[in-house]
Amino acid sequence: MNYEALKSVIVLLALLTATGVFVWRAYRLLWVNLRRGQPSGRFDRWGERIKGVLVYVGAQLRLFRFLVPGTAHFFVFWGFLFLSLTILQAIAEGLAAFANSHYVLPIIGEWGPLALIQDLLATAVVIAVAYGLYLRLVVDPERYRGSHKGAGVKVLGFIMTIMLSLLVMNGLRINLNEDLLAAWRPVSTLTGRLFASLSPAAQGLIEEIAYWIHLGVVMLFLTELPTGKHFHIFTSIPNVLLRNLEPRGRLPAPQSADGTAGVGVMEGFRWKQMLDFYTCSECGRCQEMCPTCRSGSPLSPKLLIMDLRRNLEERGAALSASSKNGILSKSLAGDVITDETLWACTTCYTCDQECPLFIEHVNPIVEMRRYLIVEGRVDKKLQDALANLGRYGNSFGQSERMRAKWTQGLQPAIRDARKEPVEYLWFVGDYASYNQTLTDVTRKTAEVFQRAGLNFGILFDAERNSGNDVRRVGEEGLYEMLAEKNLQALSKCKYETIVTTDPHTYNTLKNEYAWNGNRPRILHYTELLDELIVSGKLKFSKKLDTRITYHDPCYLGRYNGVYDAPRRVLHAAGCELIEMQRHGDRAFCCGAGGGRIWMEETPGRERPAEIRIRDAAALTNVPNFVVSCPKDVTMFRDAVKTTGNESRFQVKDLIEVVYEAM
Amino acid sequence: MNIVVLIKLVPDLVEELTIDSSGAGLDLTFARWIINEFDDHALEQGILLKEKNGGTVTAIAPDLEGVDDVLFTAAARGADRLIKVKGDFMAANNHALARSFSAIIQKFQADLILTGVQAHNDLDGSAGPLLAECLQLPYVGYIAGVSVNDGKSMLRKEYPGGLLAEMEVTLPAVLGIQAAEQPPRYVAVSKVRQAMKTSSLEEMDASDLGPLGAPTVGRMFQPEATTHAEMIEGSPEEVSAKLVGLFKELGVM
Repeated sequence: MNYEALKSVIVLLALLTATGVFVWRAYRLLWVNLRRGQPSGRFDRWGERIKGVLVYVGAQLRLFRFLVPGTAHFFVFWGFLFLSLTILQAIAEGLAAFANSHYVLPIIGEWGPLALIQDLLATAVVIAVAYGLYLRLVVDPERYRGSHKGAGVKVLGFIMTIMLSLLVMNGLRINLNEDLLAAWRPVSTLTGRLFASLSPAAQGLIEEIAYWIHLGVVMLFLTELPTGKHFHIFTSIPNVLLRNLEPRGRLPAPQSADGTAGVGVMEGFRWKQMLDFYTCSECGRCQEMCPTCRSGSPLSPKLLIMDLRRNLEERGAALSASSKNGILSKSLAGDVITDETLWACTTCYTCDQECPLFIEHVNPIVEMRRYLIVEGRVDKKLQDALANLGRYGNSFGQSERMRAKWTQGLQPAIRDARKEPVEYLWFVGDYASYNQTLTDVTRKTAEVFQRAGLNFGILFDAERNSGNDVRRVGEEGLYEMLAEKNLQALSKCKYETIVTTDPHTYNTLKNEYAWNGNRPRILHYTELLDELIVSGKLKFSKKLDTRITYHDPCYLGRYNGVYDAPRRVLHAAGCELIEMQRHGDRAFCCGAGGGRIWMEETPGRERPAEIRIRDAAALTNVPNFVVSCPKDVTMFRDAVKTTGNESRFQVKDLIEVVYEAM
Repeated sequence: MNIVVLIKLVPDLVEELTIDSSGAGLDLTFARWIINEFDDHALEQGILLKEKNGGTVTAIAPDLEGVDDVLFTAAARGADRLIKVKGDFMAANNHALARSFSAIIQKFQADLILTGVQAHNDLDGSAGPLLAECLQLPYVGYIAGVSVNDGKSMLRKEYPGGLLAEMEVTLPAVLGIQAAEQPPRYVAVSKVRQAMKTSSLEEMDASDLGPLGAPTVGRMFQPEATTHAEMIEGSPEEVSAKLVGLFKELGVM
């Protein structure tokens, strides 16, 4: 057998082996393991789904939120796509070697412009990968903490080797006049010149070695693709295609038969969630941006997903094995993910939003919390809050008869929406109703509404906590109870629009309540004020002429996209808005959401609210920190004190600013 | 082992309390009835014992508004039998409660009867000792730890001032629980709803709910602000001498 024939045989065997290993591993992970998951519901809205793949995989939109690494990844991705054709060429010429030692694929191997693109992209990939190695090995940012560094470096090494061997191979072929498209490969031509002094025989030998390295690493890469972080190369397209298209603020209903039990074992997750776990590339954008992680908690969204993936793989293997295995007795909540980690999440949605591949973090956390709730594994403070919510409909443990106590003495009296029709039904919420430090803010809200001539009323003692955070704590049964009571009370009232003080209330009323197709218009009070200013009903008597910064509440901004209305209102009141570095969809959570406000704090850690206050303290000469969520007022007023910034700025609710300017 | 837990419902102090027109009792027309906190601990202790030693837990409570929720919650936590005792309990005192409940509890042949050591509306003494008297059983109160072994129970009793005692009692006995070994567990609303579907309430009639045996309340009133307080100083002998003088002056001695 001559060398060319042997080459064909080896390439064929390598191809079959590598493909075989890839298919076997992918089959075990994607077919056997995913089939153990729960149904993922009906996938529809294909136009939107495909558009998402084009925008988020094709154009890599979310990756650019980290600009330089995102740009590097963009080139690696597109380089990979275009250069996969050169891999095809390399395989084809190997397979055809016994018949034709210079076989060239039609079009792919013959078209000049494609060769140029490939040549330039290979160069771009080399630069991008060099940057990637620099990032991994030298910079080593916080977001990589806990990621598999070895695997990361290895995959970069693979890509670098594939690219360099390609350039060397092409360069030498140009030197040896074997390349018909030599003129289209400027970088390869330059690479070839490095070897120009060698004899043609030596150049031929090096070219052949470069070919084998190129092909060998490609095959090796193929076998390693269905492991760890590399798998995203394969799973990212289906993962983005099948991403959750529900509103961000709508948690999925429990999967279990009785409707509430939560996820206690891996197979309790839907198979699409399992695909999420496989798709994590360990880039750590979520980890870097997570307010809980930043405050030193054991929760990192990235590590959570990685731990779930490990359990999915280990458990899958154990379930398939014939013998019993200790892995199977590990509990998901407790052993795989600790209770403390699960309770630490504020559900601020930063992780979900930063993930370039649309991996969900908040939903699986809440689903595991549901399991903890049914097991009764809650801390004392949260237990008291939930017991109060069940008994009195508020977390303060006060009688519902005291809910509207703040209205006492207001003239004219606040209308009772249960007794007369109103245009706006104001859903006041727990904190604005019961928290004594907020009474003044709530009364000012009422006064502003009155002075704008608004026809509005409230539910008085028929209002209950909306349940937004009860649901996020995982107490689905209690959430249903609260929602039913509110819907029942609302169904007896005549109104056109619901206005909420609290963004959390706003979220669940708008996205989760069962309105049965009759959802009324629901506004946050900042949106209402914006409307009232536009229609001329709300007039300011003076321009405040003060510098302020504005904090976007998670459930108003990230969850519901309301960024502009509050800013327009503040502008109309004559405020000069100075943005903190993290603002808009990157606003840093105050730490109160997802029921965290009801839980015990771990002493000794810097709280998210304190970190946030430092954001504001970094601005010069901004005396007002304006918020539009009652919980924010309490969280940040406290944090201003604990960080010693009382003399520098004041925390104000947006309504106080409006009130001042009227 | 057969454990019976007596649960009292008490008016929720979150609501404002008012005195009724007679001036000798609370106006309970709008009262919200909730489980007595110590009885909640008694129930938890009962369930902990069942989890450790097996057996059944029977929860028994008077028919006041909200009793169904209280009993179904007990079932969701692990109680096996739920007894709702029918009768007009709104004005029943602890003597009446003990009499009527003892008649029912006798039927269960309980090994251990647990109840809270006290309740905020115990005007005529706490229910536990009264019940023990009716049942002619031993009673130990202020218990913060129970273990059971071979027809006997080892108890951890708390005394004021941080003193602890361990004592043994032969079963059956009545225990007044100060605190369960673990704080009462959280029970998810879904589990309560499930219990409503799967468990049933047994209704039994209360026998005699008359006020017999208890002191009669002459007047009930909100705390009244007084003008001043007099501090009695001196050695113990001097203080007691002054006190005796004072009592004589007030005509109570």
